[in-house]
Amino acid sequence: MPMLDIKNLTLEIETAGTRVKALDKVNLTINSGEIRALVGESGSGKSLIVSAISGALPQKFHLTADRMSWKGKSLLSMPTEERRQLMRRDIAVVFQNPGSALDPSATLGEQLEESIPDELVEGKWFWQRRQSRRKSAISTVHKVGIKHHRHYLSAYPHQIPTDISQKFMLAMALISQPKLLIADDPTRGMETTTKTQVLKLLTRLNQTKSLSILFISHDLLAISSMCHSMTVLYCGQTVESGRMKMLRKRPLHPYTKALLDSAPSFQNDLPPKSLLPTLDGTIPSLKHVPIGCRLGPRCPRAQRDCVITPAVRRIHDHTYSCHFPLHMEKL
Amino acid sequence: MRILGRFGILFSLTLLVLAIFSFALAYLFPGDVLTNLTGIIPQNDAHRELLIQKHRLDEAYFFQFVHYLSEMLQGNWGYSFVSGLSLKEEIGLALPATIELAFYAMFIAIVIGLPVGCYAGLKSYTAADYSINSVSMVGYSFPVFWLALLFILLFSLELNIAPLSGRISLLFDVPDKTGFILIDILLADNIDTSLALRDAFHHLLLPTLALSVISTASMIRMTRRSVIDVLNRPYITAARSRGLSRWQTFSRHILRNALLPVLPLLAIQITSLITNAMIVETLFSWPGIGSWLIQAIYQRDYPALRVGMLAVATVVIMLTITIDLFNRLIDPSRDKYERATV
Ligand SMILES: Nc1ncnc2c1ncn2[C@@H]1O[C@H](COP(=O)(O)OP(=O)(O)OP(=O)(O)O)[C@@H](O)[C@H]1O
Ligand code: SF4
Ligand SMILES: [Mg+2]
Repeated sequence: MPMLDIKNLTLEIETAGTRVKALDKVNLTINSGEIRALVGESGSGKSLIVSAISGALPQKFHLTADRMSWKGKSLLSMPTEERRQLMRRDIAVVFQNPGSALDPSATLGEQLEESIPDELVEGKWFWQRRQSRRKSAISTVHKVGIKHHRHYLSAYPHQIPTDISQKFMLAMALISQPKLLIADDPTRGMETTTKTQVLKLLTRLNQTKSLSILFISHDLLAISSMCHSMTVLYCGQTVESGRMKMLRKRPLHPYTKALLDSAPSFQNDLPPKSLLPTLDGTIPSLKHVPIGCRLGPRCPRAQRDCVITPAVRRIHDHTYSCHFPLHMEKL
Repeated sequence: MRILGRFGILFSLTLLVLAIFSFALAYLFPGDVLTNLTGIIPQNDAHRELLIQKHRLDEAYFFQFVHYLSEMLQGNWGYSFVSGLSLKEEIGLALPATIELAFYAMFIAIVIGLPVGCYAGLKSYTAADYSINSVSMVGYSFPVFWLALLFILLFSLELNIAPLSGRISLLFDVPDKTGFILIDILLADNIDTSLALRDAFHHLLLPTLALSVISTASMIRMTRRSVIDVLNRPYITAARSRGLSRWQTFSRHILRNALLPVLPLLAIQITSLITNAMIVETLFSWPGIGSWLIQAIYQRDYPALRVGMLAVATVVIMLTITIDLFNRLIDPSRDKYERATV
């Protein structure tokens, strides 16, 4: 049984009186001990999925799903308090914009220490507990590669550079020793050495603590080197999902192929907010989503049938939604 | 401590401008400049000559002003030409009475307005919020003099539960030490303290209430707005998704961030609070600076008007700058070296 299991997640946003499906029947599973990548162009809805899982959606969004469960328990029908405990203990989220996700009026140390669940604090008396909190804060900060803990723990968010706040968000997520880490673009804009450091840390935690990770990034090179499996999202629809090796060797969906081809030999990152060089046009805005397969207008293989939304098809643990997939001739 | 220096300079410059203005008023008011400036009507030409010499009115404007400034700083504020008393003493009696009234109203506004505003903000767009919001809107839009008259009519004349005017009944002879009636009562030793306090509270009740309705209403509205603003920030979402409880999120992240922008607004409120206090005290014959100034206007007491306005302006500026300075010092996200403003 997968740890996190999402089936047909649909998210409707009300804009100017009309409802648009920002996410349309998204499927996503994360197994225990797995690193899963979630990729897709800017605006394809990756961050929306993160918000949906962490229960951080605004009121005006309407969320429905056939299944959205954590270890067999439905997240949708879970009482608020249980959901809160779950977010405190088992799931940790690194949101995309580290700058705005930190409280400007509290020091980083305070914010880091309050993220420690009470069970992980040792000692009976408050001074012992305070010391224990402090100790784990310092060790976590070191773990994510921040050296001058004395300086940074007492700093306010506006006083620190972006890459430090990104690492801090990671520290805040990891300090509760979660089972699943959801990291939304945790390495955006980092320089190579820092990035390698962070990726190594994540890989190590995955191997030693069997931490599951949902890794969202535009960096295909990093993804292919550390992720076990990958889900490709286009314009709010999951187009293909499967093991990393399979997807790289033989992508079935034209979009996955275009995405992979856009990073030749995986040397350059896919720069955020840029056009895919191998695919004409841009991702449609939510106001103008095409009917049927949303890739239709940009797809080189599109035919008349594509105005009907393709169903999810499955070959072993490889799923795709396309009427005219690639490489099928060889199968 | 550079920031203290900046605020100090700002404060002194503003005061200097006010002093120039009040000095110019002596020339702008109708009548004799000498009388306008000193409040003394010369008996004969020799006396007049002496006074002109003393106040350097025969020298250039600049030196006149410098002399005027040094006199003001030494506490020689001139005399009221109606009563002939020293203006410093009169203002020293009247101003604390006004400040006392304004202080209690502000206190009530904070004690009631803040929690209610927070509650409304947290429950934003629910029935509770809408009702709090409409009530505070109504309270905010009452003209203060009308409210005061209504209170007089209702509580003093109809129900007879509060006295009509004054600070304390004449039975009590409270010696004036600090100018604040409640403190003076506690300091006085020849009277029945508890009885006097009760009486003073009765007198305070209506003016404070009339004054605090408006301050409380605007406090509620400011706090509510600010809380709603903060609730929409990503760091609140992030804090919630870390599994902090409602109370933890509120006390650690919402409250502080919501109050920081309210403080400077509070500083702006002070001006209207003092103005309202002056209106209210005229209606309740509260012996404050407001009724005192009105008397001065009726009697064309130009020296009193001049100095009274200067005194009120100084107090307002002092409070405003102090609050702003305080806000600057406690707000970690603001640069401490930004320019000071009034
Ligand atoms: N609060 C919102 N209101 C309306 N539309 C929104 C809102 N948040 C996101 N969207 C829309 O949902 C779509 C998906 O946005 P999302 O932020 O999830 O993209 P993303 O895949 O995370 O992109 P990026 O790679 O740039 O982070 C976008 O078209 C965006 O305009
Ligand atoms: S369904 Fe049609 S339009 Fe969509 S990806 Fe497949 S071939 Fe292209
Ligand atoms: Mg995003």
